[in-house]
Amino acid sequence: MATAIPLFASFKYADSLTVVGISFCTALVCEAISWILIYRTSSYKSLKSSIDKASKKLETMKTDNPSSKLAIKKSKTKKIDRVESSLKESSRDLSLFKFKSGAVVALVLFVVFGLLNSLFEGKVVAKLPFHPITIVRKMSHRGLKGDDSTDCSMAFLYLLCSISIRTNLQKFLGFSPPRGAAGAGGLFPMPDPKTN
Amino acid sequence: MRESKSAKLNQLQEDNHQNVHLSPSKLAKLFDPDASWDKDQLGDVLHWIRQVVGLICGLLWGSIPLVGGIWIILFLAISSGIVYGYYAMILKVDEEDFGGHAALLQEGLFASLTLFLLAWILVYSLAHF
Repeated sequence: MATAIPLFASFKYADSLTVVGISFCTALVCEAISWILIYRTSSYKSLKSSIDKASKKLETMKTDNPSSKLAIKKSKTKKIDRVESSLKESSRDLSLFKFKSGAVVALVLFVVFGLLNSLFEGKVVAKLPFHPITIVRKMSHRGLKGDDSTDCSMAFLYLLCSISIRTNLQKFLGFSPPRGAAGAGGLFPMPDPKTN
Repeated sequence: MRESKSAKLNQLQEDNHQNVHLSPSKLAKLFDPDASWDKDQLGDVLHWIRQVVGLICGLLWGSIPLVGGIWIILFLAISSGIVYGYYAMILKVDEEDFGGHAALLQEGLFASLTLFLLAWILVYSLAHF
């Protein structure tokens, strides 16, 4: 441990490792809180199970009755609509359930971000190997002096850490929202916002 | 009585034999075009493939180092190519059964992009300054 500190101190951008380390620990703490408040509860388990069942049922029904067929029985269409509305309702209930418990996690994240901001405000924590586009530069050069757009601020690195570490941690632990739930997946699947 | 006991013993031995082969069979399934896939299972496998490719590319790009925004585009092309090659050519799945090419190609895309950027930036910053 004593030899590790001088080793890290020799890196010009050793602060980046601190940001990543704190991000990782925060992700673990957030998932632990989420598990205590959400994932281990019977309400969550039953909602998740009903969403999984409904989405699988819907898939089967749609596969058996592809929209290209003109003569779809009214009763089948009604059944599909019923299952779809049941799925939407369960997804909404799940979101609402997570939202109530997510406030604690949000508070933890707020505190950690504030702490990191106070530690690294105005400091260049890493060097970008590319020149970011204007929208990204607003975040990557936040609070930094000078015109060098390859200077990376804590905020951008923390954002990258948050998304990559927490998404994969949720996936690994099996806490990702079910694919059938509304708003799950999509082109930009963020870590579950209700628990983060 | 003896026959039923020996039948039970054979069944038990068969079950143990199967259990021993669970891990290799799971591994074999990853490369078996005849295996049947659940939407969730395939989605998870594609997600993790993307993450591994993102991590390797990030470490590699940062070590060389490769500099410039064009390498982000290249990473996206390589990563998507690998995922497409895997499900279309190795597994030979019908993408219509899984929501189409878009649904399969977007599995884990954003997370892998952020992981790639993180690895690239970290290695570049630490190794070359």
